[in-house]
Amino acid sequence: MSRYIRLYIHFLQFSFSKALEFRLDFFFKIIMDIVYYSVNILFFKVIYLHTPMLGGWTESQMMIFISTYILIDAISMTVFSSNMWWLPYHINRGDLDYHLIRPVSPLFFLSLKDFSANSFVNLLMAIFIFSYSLIHYSLPFHSLDVVLLCALVLNGALLYYCCQMLMILPVFWTQSARGFMDLFYSMGIAMERPDKIFTGWRRFVFTFIIPFSLIASFPAKLFIEKFNWPTFLHLISVSLLFWILMIFIWKKGIKAYSSASS
Amino acid sequence: MKSWWKDVMAMEFRKILAYRSDFWITFLGQMFIQLLVTISLWHSVFKENNVTSMQGLNLEMLALYYLVANVGMRILWGENIGFISREIYEGTFTRYLLYPISFFQYKTVSYLSYSLFYSLQLFIFYWLYQLFFGTSDLSFTHLYYLILGIGIFLTSSLLFLTLAFMVELISLWADNVWTLMIMLRFFVTFFGGGFIPLNFLPHWAQEILAWTPFPYLINLPVRTILGLSHHTEIIKGIFFILAWTLILATFVKVIWSRGQKRYTGVGI
Repeated sequence: MSRYIRLYIHFLQFSFSKALEFRLDFFFKIIMDIVYYSVNILFFKVIYLHTPMLGGWTESQMMIFISTYILIDAISMTVFSSNMWWLPYHINRGDLDYHLIRPVSPLFFLSLKDFSANSFVNLLMAIFIFSYSLIHYSLPFHSLDVVLLCALVLNGALLYYCCQMLMILPVFWTQSARGFMDLFYSMGIAMERPDKIFTGWRRFVFTFIIPFSLIASFPAKLFIEKFNWPTFLHLISVSLLFWILMIFIWKKGIKAYSSASS
Repeated sequence: MKSWWKDVMAMEFRKILAYRSDFWITFLGQMFIQLLVTISLWHSVFKENNVTSMQGLNLEMLALYYLVANVGMRILWGENIGFISREIYEGTFTRYLLYPISFFQYKTVSYLSYSLFYSLQLFIFYWLYQLFFGTSDLSFTHLYYLILGIGIFLTSSLLFLTLAFMVELISLWADNVWTLMIMLRFFVTFFGGGFIPLNFLPHWAQEILAWTPFPYLINLPVRTILGLSHHTEIIKGIFFILAWTLILATFVKVIWSRGQKRYTGVGI
């Protein structure tokens, strides 16, 4: 374990020095995420001009949800996004060979080696938005609720990573993962909407099959509404299931991998 | 001179269809998910307020609005992000400086190939939607507005291309500009009416936006296809599209003349 922590610290050092070489790019990425956050907040502000409630939540409650998904997105962008971007290319070009022979888990290496230092500033900004929405939340809450929400935010980031990996891994068998990846990014919109807007079969799809509603909406729901075990167990069990599924397909993919001709 | 643009278009069409499975997964999947989520959202808003329409749009119209807007945005986006900046970064941009064809003409034809392809897609999808889910009968009025709206989309795609030229050419100074292109798309989607129909915005915001290029990129052509725009609104919109294209083209010219001197062509 300590070996992996030391390795990750090296990844961080390398990523920061690399990011600071391209200063203008660094600056552009910060601005881009500010625009993304603003557009998301503005979208809900406009919706609330026409309705007092959405999915059973008031504007103040919705801000908790918005800041939760912004924070999860920022964690994913900082920790996983660059690695996820390059993974299909590594598999396609046969670069995976170098990672398979190293004395370290290839999944760990390929998922975490590129820490996006540019997005780190945005992660700080997302933490600020998250804290701001908690401070200005209109209803009373317990500090344990905040601890649980923070833990579920991390779970959300991991679930997001699993879903993304499940969209990338078919590249072991297909020539290109681009279609699946584009599809994944467009599915992101489901994470950015409260789960209660989905009813009937759509709810089943977004809470079980493509569990994007579990990523941010369920954590926010457990904070805003009273804690309830069925929601919590649903969230944890689907997250575990997706983690197991991702590991299983990863192992199958590694077996199917045939280097550069893959 | 041989009509080189036909060859360029044929080549671009082949590129679009090179990875057919990817193409259809992306297109159908994106369309389905986006529609599902947006319809669920508006259904919830309508239910919460116990109304059947808002700002003159009922749920069926909103579904159609988002369907047209989503395919329409593909007409605008045209080629992928980096269609110029990547070439500058990699040094392959040099060929445009040597070929006996204007760089801007080549890129415009290449971009329009994508726009035309997606226009055809919009035509087919709208027609199929009306055929299977439309409550009103198909008529020549539908066809008229559809062709007029697609025409506006193609005109506004030239405006978007001018904006894209401005941003992509910044790569003559900076290494990576894909972030700027993403920002441009965010702005166009939000202020153009891709996320939310613009008549849901406060009145003062609509009045300010009317002087910017954004509402004419998505909102105007979509409303035209839906038969919601008056002819005076359409004519005014086309005037704004052309005026903004000319204004921005002047900026592109300045950026190009200055940026060219900085290009080294060494690649990475």
